Amino acid sequence: MADKKNPWKPALILGVLLVVLAVLVIIFFTGGEREKVRRLAEAGLPKAQPPAGEPAVRKTVTLFFLSDDDDLLHGETREIAVGPSAADEAERALAELVKGSARSLISPLPAETRVRQVFITKDGIAYVDFGREIVDKFSYGSSSELSAVYAVVNTLAFNFKSVKKVAILVEGAEKETLGGHVDLTRPFPPDYSIVAK
Amino acid sequence: MTDKERKVGRGRLLVSLLLLAGLARPAFPQTAGNPGPRSRSDARKPRTVVIDPGHGGIEPGARGKLGTVEKDITLAIALKLKAMIEKNMAFQVVLTRDKDMDVPLENRAAIANNQKADVFISIHTNSSRQKSAEGSETFFLSTGATPDEETRRLAYLENNSSRIEDHVDKTSEEDVKMILWDMAQTAYIRQSSQLAEMIQAELNSLLGTRNRGIKQAPFKVLTGAACPAVLIEAAFISNPEEEKKLASDAFQTSVAEAIYRGLTKYLQLYP
Repeated sequence: MADKKNPWKPALILGVLLVVLAVLVIIFFTGGEREKVRRLAEAGLPKAQPPAGEPAVRKTVTLFFLSDDDDLLHGETREIAVGPSAADEAERALAELVKGSARSLISPLPAETRVRQVFITKDGIAYVDFGREIVDKFSYGSSSELSAVYAVVNTLAFNFKSVKKVAILVEGAEKETLGGHVDLTRPFPPDYSIVAK
Repeated sequence: MTDKERKVGRGRLLVSLLLLAGLARPAFPQTAGNPGPRSRSDARKPRTVVIDPGHGGIEPGARGKLGTVEKDITLAIALKLKAMIEKNMAFQVVLTRDKDMDVPLENRAAIANNQKADVFISIHTNSSRQKSAEGSETFFLSTGATPDEETRRLAYLENNSSRIEDHVDKTSEEDVKMILWDMAQTAYIRQSSQLAEMIQAELNSLLGTRNRGIKQAPFKVLTGAACPAVLIEAAFISNPEEEKKLASDAFQTSVAEAIYRGLTKYLQLYP
């Protein structure tokens, strides 16, 4: 009896395995949108740049700070290392923004702020992931929250052609606001009306 | 961006259109001079003002150097404003909080919508990293959409509004609810700017603070309000001079008085 059943057994096991495989393939392709976005972001951009064979190559970026003289953002140029991807450069630019002004301009971000990662999607949205210090280390009012957000948004949109809008995340997740005012759930286009001429 | 967020994103466009289809109709004719969407000639239902004292509970808001906390000042001003309106006008006043408690931002606009509020007024005190920052300003919502996007959205709406409902499937009903609130304010931007202008004018004449004007900003608390809505920054708690003023009963009364007068003038436009 047992011997007669044997010929079917492998086929049955194979069938079950195929079904499991099919389910896994479906999950693989339908789930994990986030990973796909990331891969797009990473695959789309670096190839345009030469590999960082010459680490000495630097470029000038404009960072946006506050001034005590008016309510506008003021540009200050800074050198950063080039490549390999625009997202890497964006991370460096934001790290410089956090470091603060070399002149006497006022930093719009808490000094403890960590830039965890920047990724840029194909359709031009830069996702900036900050550590929780950006929220914890300052109690924001409308003005300070607006200047923190738009210093980041304008710095990226101004310096990187591939960035059309900027979305801000905190510890890898969407956050409603930094301190109860500015809506972070939608990506921001830059606002140059608040930049000093 | 997670899978769910993507779905929400997609739903958001559809539903913002759906919402505009529903809300914009009564609101837009008004730009042609008709009475407001909430003007009620039958005075059976009392008209309602919702006042939102900023922050509260575990969210103190901004802090002054002398120790003044934003959430206390906003509540004090809101209570004074409530008393003034109730004493002088035939309006029902609802506060989003009447004590020191947590109220999520979404709930604040939801309270206004559930009460079918005629006006939503959020009261805050400002803070800046600039030591010298001072003055009073009134905000209304900016949607963050570029003029191009806005034009395209309205064009799409005109061509497709009848078909939009078919596009929203049942599984996304939750998203729909959230997004309806999410975009509600876009239909009231014009009235909100008028309200902001009138309140700001009174702040200027009563407070003696620097006039920072009316401004637009993408403030979360305003996005969901389905009525004219403004956010008032009475003065800078981060500036010790203004912090002292904000902590004083007389200044708080003046702020409430200014908002009250601005509101009165606005309501004369939309009786």
